[in-house]
Amino acid sequence: MQEFYEGLAEILEVAPETIKPELTLEEEQWDSMAIISCVALIDEVYGQLISGSSLTGCKTVADIQNLISKSM
Amino acid sequence: MSKNSVKGVTIQGVSCAVPRKQLDNQSFLDRFDEKTIADVAKLTGVLTRHIAEPGQTAGDLCFAAAERLLADLQWAPDSVDALIFVSQTPDQRMPATACILHGRLGLSTECQAFDVGLGCSGYVYGTWLAAALISAGLRRVLLLAGDTSSQMLDPDDRGTAMLFGDAGSATAFEYNEHAPLTYFELGTDGTGAQLLTVPAGGYRLCGPASARDNTLHMDGSAVFGFTISTVPPLIKSILQQANLTISDVDTFALHQANKFILQHIEKKLKIPAGALPINIEQFGNTSSASVPLLLCTNTAERITGSPTTLLMAGFGVGLSWGAAVFSDVRLQSTSVFEV
Repeated sequence: MQEFYEGLAEILEVAPETIKPELTLEEEQWDSMAIISCVALIDEVYGQLISGSSLTGCKTVADIQNLISKSM
Repeated sequence: MSKNSVKGVTIQGVSCAVPRKQLDNQSFLDRFDEKTIADVAKLTGVLTRHIAEPGQTAGDLCFAAAERLLADLQWAPDSVDALIFVSQTPDQRMPATACILHGRLGLSTECQAFDVGLGCSGYVYGTWLAAALISAGLRRVLLLAGDTSSQMLDPDDRGTAMLFGDAGSATAFEYNEHAPLTYFELGTDGTGAQLLTVPAGGYRLCGPASARDNTLHMDGSAVFGFTISTVPPLIKSILQQANLTISDVDTFALHQANKFILQHIEKKLKIPAGALPINIEQFGNTSSASVPLLLCTNTAERITGSPTTLLMAGFGVGLSWGAAVFSDVRLQSTSVFEV
């Protein structure tokens, strides 16, 4: 989980401690480029392929985590 | 996925021509702010690209590359048995650009010439066709692959406006009875046809089209997902077919889609440092010309020195993909120049 949080912090260009399940993505830079980077991050950390379109629907970090656990 | 192997095929030389006009990232400051340009460049890796002048076509670039290659190899024009032109940006709707180039190059009337409408995977498909023609009895095949994607971009679409560059290439294939087997794997997923598209220009939309229909549309995250789910298994599978491992391959010449994708594939397959060259910084994504452009720049020394093992892979618009493995590769010549 830590590796994923660190990667996500880098993608959103925020401090690692900012990343918490309740963090609202739309308040950060959650754009098409961040989504592509996140697809790659999840593949790298969990070996799972989550589509960009399902990531687009995520409102919080917890939503992304739910997608990952559902795919595993 | 179609898996094949072909005997007796060698690559003798590659030549690439890029337009003289160059655009660096600063040139986009009139459309995008510095932060957007930096963010896009971080993902794509592109710093500068060569852009065709209006009226300068993929056919023109390939013609220059072919003329140079025939001279370098001292191939008489009438010794070419087939000309294959691969592009998503042909010179005209008709005739086939291959026929126009056949005339310009002064090839024999016994030479067959035809177009293939593919982009990112096109060079590998062209290579497969050249190999298949040679295995069917031809001796010399010229593969011309090039695109002027810059001419179909929406200047305000940050996802594509700064990604592409233009280039044309020529590759000479020749029969050699001693050449080892060349392996191919090719595939298509037409359900993704609309993920990378220019709607106008064919006969679905007749009459004058809107500016929007005349420009390239790309669903970046879907194409990215397709690439990372398709390319690593493709590479693993063709290596298995060729009975090779990752460390047996000297050069992985992959379509220069985007630097982030290439580094992701490199990491995922644990490809040794230096074996997967990247030149997208200087040229952008040049569609069907990206693999030969890589062969003429970053790997030129390696493929003209002692015999080497080369894996090439292309993937993208279609959706379409392909990979080829050549062993004992030793080219007589490579060149890259501006026109």
